Amino acid sequence: MAGTASTPKPVAPVSGSDPGPELPMAGQPAVPFVEIEALRTQQFIPAAKEALTDLIAEQGQAKVIRPVFNWAGRNSLFPLHWGLACCAIEFAAAFGARWDAERFGVVPRSSPRQCDLMIVNGTVTWKVAHKLITLYEQMPEPKWVIAMGNCATGGGPFRTAYSVVPGVDKLVPVDVYIAGCPPRPEAMLDGILRLEQLIRDRKE
Amino acid sequence: MGPEELQQALAPALGDRLLGVEPFAGTAGRVRFRAEGALDLFRAVLALGFTHLSTVGGIDWVDHREVFYIAWSDDRKQYVLLSADLPADAPHIESATPVWPSANWHERETWEFVDITFDHHPDLRHLLMPDGYEFHPLLRSFKLHEPEELEVKTRHV
Ligand code: SF4
Repeated sequence: MAGTASTPKPVAPVSGSDPGPELPMAGQPAVPFVEIEALRTQQFIPAAKEALTDLIAEQGQAKVIRPVFNWAGRNSLFPLHWGLACCAIEFAAAFGARWDAERFGVVPRSSPRQCDLMIVNGTVTWKVAHKLITLYEQMPEPKWVIAMGNCATGGGPFRTAYSVVPGVDKLVPVDVYIAGCPPRPEAMLDGILRLEQLIRDRKE
Repeated sequence: MGPEELQQALAPALGDRLLGVEPFAGTAGRVRFRAEGALDLFRAVLALGFTHLSTVGGIDWVDHREVFYIAWSDDRKQYVLLSADLPADAPHIESATPVWPSANWHERETWEFVDITFDHHPDLRHLLMPDGYEFHPLLRSFKLHEPEELEVKTRHV
């Protein structure tokens, strides 16, 4: 014990006797906050514009603008708010209080014209197939599809049934498949994050 | 109301087209009839107070088909089961839609699944399957398909 103990270092006094070095603005009249903001904006925007122009001239427009669009797109995904079968219950749970998918910027919208993501959450029957395609075609580009659950992925337990489409990729292009019957909300969030990775790496 | 009472009540209207009434668990009785007497039977059963037709269905017994109707009476708090045997080759029976309008969709479903045609049905087309679907999947002769095979035949979009 005695060997490990070291002599205590001298500590600077904590009392308020020494005010320290004077701040550069001290003594000057206070500038209102609004004016500071205006000043910053006036200087920042031209500087940023200049830097961006230089970068575009150097690297090409697509290379500079595309990441900005990808960043915006992947942080504000709007999936279609619909349910096809039992997986829709987990879809709903993922947007509930416990899993709260909205913290990833994913907010379901009720109209396909406001959506860029279709989460196919359930069994697709041949009866509903052409409605699904209509909804997909009503969504504006760019758009993505997640096949959620075994049914949407490959027909699931109903693969050989007389009325079930064996996988929604027979109808629309699918970007991410989520396995499970049903997938847990965590798995759905994982699928959404994987889709965000795909969008991040999008080149054109 | 029991099977004997049903027999007595229905015999005058149907004559020899009534094949008999048997006891059947949970119902007033199982009325077996010839397909020619269908409409007369439906009217007679409705007149007995069975105002709600809860289901229509069909069974494929391979050598023949059976069509059955289950009706409910609010006054008697009782069901009645009506059933008729049809030939396996081109089975058809008169539609119950004029008597019980709720038969409409049930008969569409029965036609679609076990291929029993309902004569004078107002709108006999697919209900649960897409238009252009070629099979009657609840027939015993229907084989489970490889998904790819079925997909080609039902593609309609
Ligand atoms: S994968 Fe399972 S839980 Fe999901 S729709 Fe199909 S049967 Fe239902």
